[in-house]
Amino acid sequence: MGSGASIVGLGMTELGRVYGRSPRRFAADAVRLAVADAGLDLTDLDGLLVSHGLGGSPGIELADTLGLRDLRLLSQMNSFGATAGAMVSYAAMSVLSGAATTVACVFADAPLKPKQSAGSAYHRDAPEWYGFGGMTAALGFRSVNAFYALAAQRHMARYGTTSEQLGAIAVSTRQWAARNPLAQMREPITLADHQDSRWVAEPLHLLDCCLVSNGAIAVVVSRADRAGDLAQPPVHLWGWGQGHPGHRKERGSEFGLSTGAATSGPVAMKMAGITPADVDVAELYDCYTYTVLVSLEDYGFCGKGEGGAFAASGALGPGGALPTNTGGGQLSAYYMWGMTPLSEAVIQARGQGGERQAGKNDVILVSGNGGILDHHSTLIVSPHRKGA
Amino acid sequence: MEGVQIGVLRRDGRTDAFFDGTAADRLVIKRCAPCGLWFAPDQVACPGCGDEELEWAPAAGTATLVTWTVTHGRPADDGTAPPPAFLALVELAEGPWLHARLDGVDRAALREGLPLRAAFVHPGEGESYVLFRPAD
Repeated sequence: MGSGASIVGLGMTELGRVYGRSPRRFAADAVRLAVADAGLDLTDLDGLLVSHGLGGSPGIELADTLGLRDLRLLSQMNSFGATAGAMVSYAAMSVLSGAATTVACVFADAPLKPKQSAGSAYHRDAPEWYGFGGMTAALGFRSVNAFYALAAQRHMARYGTTSEQLGAIAVSTRQWAARNPLAQMREPITLADHQDSRWVAEPLHLLDCCLVSNGAIAVVVSRADRAGDLAQPPVHLWGWGQGHPGHRKERGSEFGLSTGAATSGPVAMKMAGITPADVDVAELYDCYTYTVLVSLEDYGFCGKGEGGAFAASGALGPGGALPTNTGGGQLSAYYMWGMTPLSEAVIQARGQGGERQAGKNDVILVSGNGGILDHHSTLIVSPHRKGA
Repeated sequence: MEGVQIGVLRRDGRTDAFFDGTAADRLVIKRCAPCGLWFAPDQVACPGCGDEELEWAPAAGTATLVTWTVTHGRPADDGTAPPPAFLALVELAEGPWLHARLDGVDRAALREGLPLRAAFVHPGEGESYVLFRPAD
């Protein structure tokens, strides 16, 4: 049997309103946890890929923090929310080529401060503003919410997507979170709760927006033929892809209507030898409910413009045709950028989802989304070896 | 002016020509004459030829609405919230899109393609800026 690449370790620190640790400390803790989870020692690592959130730390000095020596692969990577998928695919290619054997990939961030609202962590304010970016902020674009709202509104105007359809995503995601002890928000919500939640940036209600979390998550990637000797069931990487549409801000742009999933999905699925119909579980980047809706369309789980109806059909929740964001996602569980969907995919592929474990987990799709729908990554993972 | 207070704008070298324009009630944007392409003011290079010395050129100041949002500030502890602000992507007649703030719009009248016109504001403090209002 061919020797693919596998995720053999998963490390998650405490996530959420966790204070007193720097992003670097969170990252180091997550790598240690991931290595231990795999049944390995830190000295077994010969590769480290690092990504950070808003805080700008850690970088590759994390190797020194961990005391790692004689690494064959060390890099900081950044394609924003698509980075987790990009890191794992780079790690997979590295272990398959022989450039490295055991690569940890980590993301850390700690934007939350005690006694501060979650929203303020991503909100800009200043006594005066400089540059064109500053001008845009000064005019009222003080957080990323407004930019995603423009995208969602464009989709609504073009395809008739409704706030209630976005709300269906918030509700189904919370249904999953209620079953996840790791989730920050586990109280069930109704569609009425979604509609009654305050406006942030129309058409986005508060319950259309993700959480903000402190913490770190790491995974360890190795060759599949080695994974059998390790502590956890291997999670096999069947395919990967990226898509960076480069939507220009000018006449004719598809901004808000399509994403890089339309490219990265087919690339990853072709590599994996599957079609959208083969996907049992989807773990989709959900910075906003809208991000899920448009990703579902671009992956081909439904037609373009039909994401709203698909979500409202109940397909995404427990018992639905396409269990989606089974851990509660970024909307309800924890916001670790691309590591949120990836970590839940690993848990589901291992069959360790407990109360929320999907019945069928043979093929799991993981997405990453960065910028304002500018960057996209896809991973296809499975408990089985590809072609087995 | 409704909505979130517009911040105080300062020039920083890169924005000088733009703010010279707004001070004189003119919207200037970037242009690559050899390639015949127009760009938003923040464009740094022409993707056609790579030129990083794009010239400033006057825009007509007419635009159409692409998409919009109404932002709501976080309510204060006493429950009061700032009035909503209308923000948008607008498409200039020349083709580039701008992230813009709308003024004097009727929420029910917002639609893709709504004709807009640049309007200039000269605050007591800081640089002049441009808003977009419905064209009559």
